[in-house]
Amino acid sequence: MASQTKAEILADHESNSALQAPLPAPVARHVKDLGADGLLSPLDERIIAAASEALEAGQTHYVDVPGIAALRAAIADALNGATNSRYEAGNIIVSAGVQESRFLTIQMIGENYESIGIPAVTHPGVQKALGVRGRNVISLPAAAERGYLPPIDAIAEIVAGGCRLLYLESPSRLSGAAYTSEEVGAIAEVLRDAGAAAIWDGGLAPWVDGGCSALASTEESPTLITTIGEAFPGTGLASWFIGYIASPEDQIPAMQSQKQIMAICTSTAAQFAALEASSLFEEARRLKLSQLAQLRSQIAESAAARGLAVIAGDAQNIMALRVSEEAAAKLRGAGFDFADGASFGAPDIIRLNVNSAALEALRALD
Amino acid sequence: MSKKKAQGTNLLYQLIGEARGYDDVIIMGRGDPDFDTPAHIVAAAKDAMINHHADSTPPEGLLALREAIAARVKRVNNIDVDPATEVVVTNGGQEALFLMVLAVLSPGDEMIVPEPNYNTYADSLRFAGGVKVEVQTYAEDDFRADPADVRAAVTNKTRALLLVSPNNPAASVISPPDMRAMLDIAIEQDLIVIADDIYDLFVYDDFEHVSPASLPGAKERTLTLNALSKAYSMTGWRLGWIVGPADLMARVRELKAAISGGASIISQHAGIAALTGPQDAVEMMAEAYRRRRRLVLDALDAMGIKYGLPQGGQFVFADIGFTGLDSGEVAQRILTEQHVLAYPGSAFSKDRKDYLRMTFLQPEDQLIEGLERMKVAMANIVAER
Repeated sequence: MASQTKAEILADHESNSALQAPLPAPVARHVKDLGADGLLSPLDERIIAAASEALEAGQTHYVDVPGIAALRAAIADALNGATNSRYEAGNIIVSAGVQESRFLTIQMIGENYESIGIPAVTHPGVQKALGVRGRNVISLPAAAERGYLPPIDAIAEIVAGGCRLLYLESPSRLSGAAYTSEEVGAIAEVLRDAGAAAIWDGGLAPWVDGGCSALASTEESPTLITTIGEAFPGTGLASWFIGYIASPEDQIPAMQSQKQIMAICTSTAAQFAALEASSLFEEARRLKLSQLAQLRSQIAESAAARGLAVIAGDAQNIMALRVSEEAAAKLRGAGFDFADGASFGAPDIIRLNVNSAALEALRALD
Repeated sequence: MSKKKAQGTNLLYQLIGEARGYDDVIIMGRGDPDFDTPAHIVAAAKDAMINHHADSTPPEGLLALREAIAARVKRVNNIDVDPATEVVVTNGGQEALFLMVLAVLSPGDEMIVPEPNYNTYADSLRFAGGVKVEVQTYAEDDFRADPADVRAAVTNKTRALLLVSPNNPAASVISPPDMRAMLDIAIEQDLIVIADDIYDLFVYDDFEHVSPASLPGAKERTLTLNALSKAYSMTGWRLGWIVGPADLMARVRELKAAISGGASIISQHAGIAALTGPQDAVEMMAEAYRRRRRLVLDALDAMGIKYGLPQGGQFVFADIGFTGLDSGEVAQRILTEQHVLAYPGSAFSKDRKDYLRMTFLQPEDQLIEGLERMKVAMANIVAER
């Protein structure tokens, strides 16, 4: 006899479209896959050596829930160096990737607020995290003209209306557009005046040429800012799933407790690899950024030559393009995969990783 | 201002934090085997760093690992699953546990939980908005959960039945007739079974482990978790799994993607090596736990401390009611005075303030020393009464 209980569970599941939002792959699944979240990067021999040495020395056991102390300190240092923030090791939780960071922050910080303001266009992982346990979401308008970053007046309006928690991406996970330092300052002022909080996904910030302003680094930064992202991206750790949460100390215990409930700790090998990556990151990032910037410029030219609209973006590792359904089908037909803007909330947009295969993909449209 | 007493998981972390400060501490609390991960598994991880570090993985895990898991649950648990649709790889047994509860329970739904039980089930239920309905078990019955009590606990809000065998912290094993009776109740009352098999390789004497999903009529309504942490001494790798019917597993997959995206590619390759490689290290460790269990039980007998016979698992749940103190205070004093970490029963259940959970996951000389020190601490406590 069919189970009515199971039927009810499955009916709930079917009706939960947020939970079923498709996630991009962590790294490219094949040479024509241009839709992954992470960069395909070589893994430095020193990272392999450090992780191997740790495993051989018996680092195969549980470690502290928020992460090994040295890595927490290294992440804090890297954030402080890049954004002029003032994090210490105690402000950091090492997560099992940026999706876990999204989930923990949205769910656990979100518990303290009646509603959360979220851009209409965001990484699908945000919708997915919300799909697990619904929150009262207030949608922030986000248009292509500003790279899908919600305008400051829209942010001010929902804060004035009583929303006290925002989730913002800068750079945008779809377009790569980043708020300017003036805009970040204006957001900070709105939040500070209202005593509001924000979760700030700065995961793509390392790929902005010339740096990227962060909410936690403004001169008069509000105190309730939590920053999330991937730990040391571009060092070959994308499939190791390692990320961070940087948060005021009083917000750490609830997320740490939930991390314990969900996973106890993050993979020990990944943590020791990331620790070594921390010392190689800045040099590798600069080199990679310069390569990406050059390639992105070529891809933009190629797209323009084919009459495709490039959505303005600052992060050099991705490019968002407006394409017709016919063009999207043509790309798929030629074996290319891309991140579908529909899953971010922008149906007529595709996101490509910046690499040589993207040039090949555009040629396939001819 | 008086300091609020830590409870539950927070109490455990307070004790762990203090224990870290003692150079000579003997750990008989946390469920982390003292053995390091076997060398061939570490070697496979190193190979993966060189050859597979940039491979992509779907949220449900690499197919090769899911195939290895399917073969393992067939071989050990007699559960048939399709690796393509009926297996999801998780960040350890802990994430598997959280996902199973989220997959099945909605706010207001009840889950029947034989008590005492692992504290994270209560934490996960709280997150899901579910309600824990306790069925008590007792040391004098070796913590056997009586199917009649389970049946009596069913209401029109009951959605799930939790079956953890061997149990944590009580170390009881559900007998084959009791397991069949539990499943009959689940089928009659249309409940989903949440099965935790994580200690399935650690069963002692003549006791027998049966996976609920292996019984006729059970698989379609059962989600089963397991992990590599305990059997392969891989706690730091964070690798586990859930198996179950394809329709429910589709939901588990989406939840897995939502909360953490995927599992580390290096851990997954290590997991393939663990499940498909030589198994002699597993047997060696199991044999060590058998010896240590005997050693701990003999010491407790000599001290006149009662316990429910640990039929499986890696710990003993001992009655320290004779001290006259709450188990949290006893655990605190044993740690502070004698530098031995054991977990208070109150961290597992509010009704188990008279118990301590002691693991046998340390070398024998350390266990002997730890038990001697506990004896001194408890004698001091009794002398003060």
